[in-house]
Amino acid sequence: MSAKLTARERMTRLLAVIPWVVEQDGAPLDEISARFDYPRKQLVDDLTQVVLFVGVHPFTPDSMIEVDITDDRVQIRYADWFAQPLRLTPEEGARLLTAGRTVLSLGDDEQATPLLRALAKLGMALGESADSAVDVRLGDAPEATLATLRRAVAEQTQVELDYYTYGRDQLTTRTVDPARVFSDHGNWYLHGYCHRADDERVFRVDRVRDARGSTTPITHPLEGGGASFSPDGDDPRVRLALDPRASWVVEQYPTEAVSTRDDGRIDVVMAVTAQPWLERLLLRLGPDAEVIESGEPLPADLAAAAATRILARYRS
Amino acid sequence: MDKLERLLNLAAALLDADRPLTADELRDRIGGYPEGKTAFRRTFERDKDDLRAMGLPLKVEPVPGTDPPTDGYRMRRADYTGTELRLEPDELASLHLATNLVRLDGADTGLLKLGGSAGSEADEVGRVPFDDALAVMIAAAADRRAVTFTYNDTERMVEPWRLSFTRGHWYLAGYDRTRDDERLYRVDRIAGEVIVGDPATQEVGAPSDPTDLRGWELGDGEPVRALVRIDAVQAAHARHLLGEVEELDDGGVVAELAVRNPEAFRSFVLSFLDHAEILEPPELRADMIAWLEAAT
Repeated sequence: MSAKLTARERMTRLLAVIPWVVEQDGAPLDEISARFDYPRKQLVDDLTQVVLFVGVHPFTPDSMIEVDITDDRVQIRYADWFAQPLRLTPEEGARLLTAGRTVLSLGDDEQATPLLRALAKLGMALGESADSAVDVRLGDAPEATLATLRRAVAEQTQVELDYYTYGRDQLTTRTVDPARVFSDHGNWYLHGYCHRADDERVFRVDRVRDARGSTTPITHPLEGGGASFSPDGDDPRVRLALDPRASWVVEQYPTEAVSTRDDGRIDVVMAVTAQPWLERLLLRLGPDAEVIESGEPLPADLAAAAATRILARYRS
Repeated sequence: MDKLERLLNLAAALLDADRPLTADELRDRIGGYPEGKTAFRRTFERDKDDLRAMGLPLKVEPVPGTDPPTDGYRMRRADYTGTELRLEPDELASLHLATNLVRLDGADTGLLKLGGSAGSEADEVGRVPFDDALAVMIAAAADRRAVTFTYNDTERMVEPWRLSFTRGHWYLAGYDRTRDDERLYRVDRIAGEVIVGDPATQEVGAPSDPTDLRGWELGDGEPVRALVRIDAVQAAHARHLLGEVEELDDGGVVAELAVRNPEAFRSFVLSFLDHAEILEPPELRADMIAWLEAAT
């Protein structure tokens, strides 16, 4: 928690803190701070310099909230107006429902029972069709592959992968020390140390053709999470001018700089980790994209050359 | 006076009153508002917006016995509290764990209202794009209400059945009132605000599964049958994406696709670069040749 909370964020928290402290009949400052993601100093300031002065006309002592902090323990009394928590908005409920149903779909049975009960209660508040309202698939890699990788992560043993590199259009076999399996925006990834590359790599699990577990312990444990896309400083960059119709490119791919050109088109700079990736993108965009600049070793007529190559098939 | 203090006093005054209060009454009861009618009005309007944005149920109602009729502001305690969920500690902890395991883009204020984070921190397993428009549509699907929005430059009124996230995109399946038929929409192509309307009129149908429906199948026209040949080097990838394909002796495959959206179809075939070729029909083949010639 680094940024200072806005007045709205503080009020949202206080309207949750007050009924909770009342219900608990007092609570330690540290616990309130942790539970409600409320920086302790701000919490103390808000309780003693704001909440203490909240009440209703005529603001006599009996019409105001009473706050008492003794030995780092907070007591709140006479807060009748805020003694019950504010209702969940349907949108807040929908967020919780979505997260909860996604976790259920992972099939982790240990958590399933209380979560099912929680979602049933949430569903009653949201409406009759809450059960079928949302469905999340974190990725569609084969269950068996995911299971092999998760087991290897848990046991800290090496895996051998037959991996298809989509960008380079190659199938390779490599030994990996797996660190973490995670999903990002609809795809499963494996973050690990690749012995073939002799470096950290992130693999898309749906492009793992086969994963074979082993009993060999890993030799290169990794810290940290791994990002689903991490361009290399050495990767060439390309600068494109995109028609506004192609603005989805900016949302879908990592960009390094985005601006609007004088002619109304979008100016975007991207790292090119593999040439076929850029060929696909440019061919797909056609007249909606123009290459303004492309770094070595990318050929200037990349899209035209790729188009000629494909056309040869249709003419033979 | 601190803005936070004024907002809390405004909420307390409204919850305390058993009748609608006029803006002037609220100013007199709360204090902390700027002098001068215009400055007061401006601050008061902003305060009302803030309360509503935080989900406080602020309503405008005529003040009884006023002539000419004057509008006042009201916040009933029953509306403020809503349906209490009464979650057990383990249920709250499981929801907390769920929001840790699966991160949705955007701020999560719902858990705070339920008593804050109660469980232990867990490593994130997945991250899913999310926004307010999605939350509005999921809530509408749960509560069986229609929504209106703009899609492909057309205003649509849809009774949502299900919001599905699959292969990196959110889809809305529901009953389109204007077209009187089931439809599937890509949520990221919905433009403008999603507005919740009246209760749904149709039973919830069995929504088609967007996983089985590819970009080239999302369209309003009659489907055209297309055959695409994909070379051996990309055959495994094609099988993975398409499921059933015809196997050729050289290791390549031929896929049969139902095309409703020729542009999306072209993009899909181009994703194989020079490892794929449209065999049929001649029109789609000619489209591809023309597109590629324009790129040379």
